[in-house]
Amino acid sequence: MTQTIAFYDRVDQALHDTSLQTALNRATTRFIGNRASAIGALCEADRLRDQARAIRAYALAHLDELLPQLAANVEARGGHVCWASDGEEARRYIIELARARGVRSIVKSKSMASEEIHLNEALEHAGFEVVETDLGEYIIQLAGETPSHIIAPAIHKTREQVSALFEQHLGMPPTTEVPPMIRTARRALRQRFLRADMGISGVNFGVADSGAIVIVENEGNARLSTTVPRIHVAIMGIERIVARLADLGVMLQVLARSATGQKMSVYTSLISGPARPGEADGPEEFHLVLLDNGRSRMLGGQYAEALLCIRCGACLNACPVYQAIGGHAYGGVYSGPIGAILTPLLQPDLPDAYLLPQASSLCGACQEVCPVRIAIPDMLLRHRADAVQAGKAHPLEKAAIRGYTLTMTHPAIYRASGKAARLFSRILARKGRFRRLPPPLHLWTKQRDFPAPPPKTFRELWAEHQKRRHQNEV
Amino acid sequence: MSRDQILAAIQISLNANRPQLLAEAARVTHEPPPFVLPAQDDLAGQFVAEVQKLEGKAYRVATAEEALAIIEQLIIETQARQVIGWDVDQIELPGLAALLAAHGVTPAIADIRGEARQARLQELEPIPICLSGVELAIAESGTLLLRHGPGRPRLASLLSPCHIAIVFERQLVRGLGEALTILLKRYGEEIFGPTSNLTFITGPSRTADIEMTLSLGIHGPPQLHVILVAEG
Repeated sequence: MTQTIAFYDRVDQALHDTSLQTALNRATTRFIGNRASAIGALCEADRLRDQARAIRAYALAHLDELLPQLAANVEARGGHVCWASDGEEARRYIIELARARGVRSIVKSKSMASEEIHLNEALEHAGFEVVETDLGEYIIQLAGETPSHIIAPAIHKTREQVSALFEQHLGMPPTTEVPPMIRTARRALRQRFLRADMGISGVNFGVADSGAIVIVENEGNARLSTTVPRIHVAIMGIERIVARLADLGVMLQVLARSATGQKMSVYTSLISGPARPGEADGPEEFHLVLLDNGRSRMLGGQYAEALLCIRCGACLNACPVYQAIGGHAYGGVYSGPIGAILTPLLQPDLPDAYLLPQASSLCGACQEVCPVRIAIPDMLLRHRADAVQAGKAHPLEKAAIRGYTLTMTHPAIYRASGKAARLFSRILARKGRFRRLPPPLHLWTKQRDFPAPPPKTFRELWAEHQKRRHQNEV
Repeated sequence: MSRDQILAAIQISLNANRPQLLAEAARVTHEPPPFVLPAQDDLAGQFVAEVQKLEGKAYRVATAEEALAIIEQLIIETQARQVIGWDVDQIELPGLAALLAAHGVTPAIADIRGEARQARLQELEPIPICLSGVELAIAESGTLLLRHGPGRPRLASLLSPCHIAIVFERQLVRGLGEALTILLKRYGEEIFGPTSNLTFITGPSRTADIEMTLSLGIHGPPQLHVILVAEG
């Protein structure tokens, strides 16, 4: 989806959307608490996270062997593999497959990779009927919106809004109770599953030694999407791989705990190829789409570590910026701290993607909760440096940095600016705070106060202190 | 060809970053811990408590007869005429076939292969009960591990609103790591030979997508009945 308004305006909208603020607060608080107690209950949480990081690092270090191994094992089980350099190749493969098989109706279970390549729009444009079946994704599909959270895509919707959507699209009688909405969605979506010709899913992990993919979910829509229709297409970013089945004994222990605080998600499916000859259900055809879309290049650069990510969403919930602005403001598919790293790399066509790394206080909460300990703040800084080198810094920012450099390297200017700042604060500040600053600093005070400088500078305090000490000594 | 292009690009990238990644990979063993939570005295008790915490129903019974009585009750409550189930002999509960027959319950043919796929699915849709065994069960998380395959359809834990799972105490393990080790020892390379699917089930289907309100049964079974049998 193309962004029509600029990042700062999206942030502004989000900050003034009171129902979004309530929803964000409710969701992130719950997720943070649940995660903390689930991780806290582990015997050796730190070691488990070290192991998770090591397993993912191993997989990336051997990606050139593991991907062919995964593909060969999938093919040995009767599955098909598509290597897609970019979104265009992945979309074309899936559309041509659907056409060749006479597919009309497609059910989808949540897949970030498919959102990254705007697969739904392409399929609908090609004339297929596509239904998102994760409840949150379904709600936002009906509303014509995009996910606001990696784990809870529709947290920004109130129950009244959901009721109105179901009333309009599914003929549900109006209600403010959640259970009838759940029953309505179950009935409507169940028929979609039973009539679907193709199911499209994401992949949480590809397991190279078994030729299996792992899908983790709570609702059962991924199980239905990958069991009921005669064709299953799974889309996987090439980095989402582990070497051995045994590695899941670490990865699954940290994934659900980090995402929602569950010990295990309700359904964890390991799928290896199409149904075997002796099996009564499962798809007749299995296709695995391996999506590069910038990842192979990323692996060689200074952002390679971001490829360790297992998409748990813990860094989103922990981030004070995400808590305030939510997912939509980021503009890309991936939001929050990890999104601020990935979006400029995986969706460089978004015009203001380079601004996202600015949307961080660098407090480090993201790295603190990351199950694979990605050094997110370091990479956000690198992105900022890259943007400056690419000449994308705002002229005012450049001027400010020049002014700062001048001030900090010339004691006389430093002293004079301290005095000026205090003069300024005597005129404008109230109760030790600026409510409003003049342009261009007014942007800061638009959402919050700026603390006024104290009445005396450090240099003055130091001079007084020295003087007192001198007097005492005498 | 994209495959070669992608692999070539990966190799170029790894020329730069492989040493660093290998160093990270070598920091700690990759061997999964057999379990991750503090030990509890009673594995069966822990398992039952975990299933209940997840809003599943768990029953701890001594004998097959007691297990049959629970199944009978559920058949009566749901007025089931058919069940979507594993082959009765794969569930390994003595007397199950006779119980179903006594109540006039026939196992549905959950075979959806071929042209009649969608019609067959519509016939299966109204059946109120799914009935399955398990491969293993994990006490720490209240998880059932189902190894699907011939005679063990996936739909038998998925389609109906009520899933009954028979678990024997000998199938209980403490943690996920232990379960994977047993699985690999039992089947080795052939783990995905005759089957395309392994599923871990941890509680009934759930969602919190509307205002973070927990709701059961959005897609999978809202009711999960786990019958833990001591003997057998």
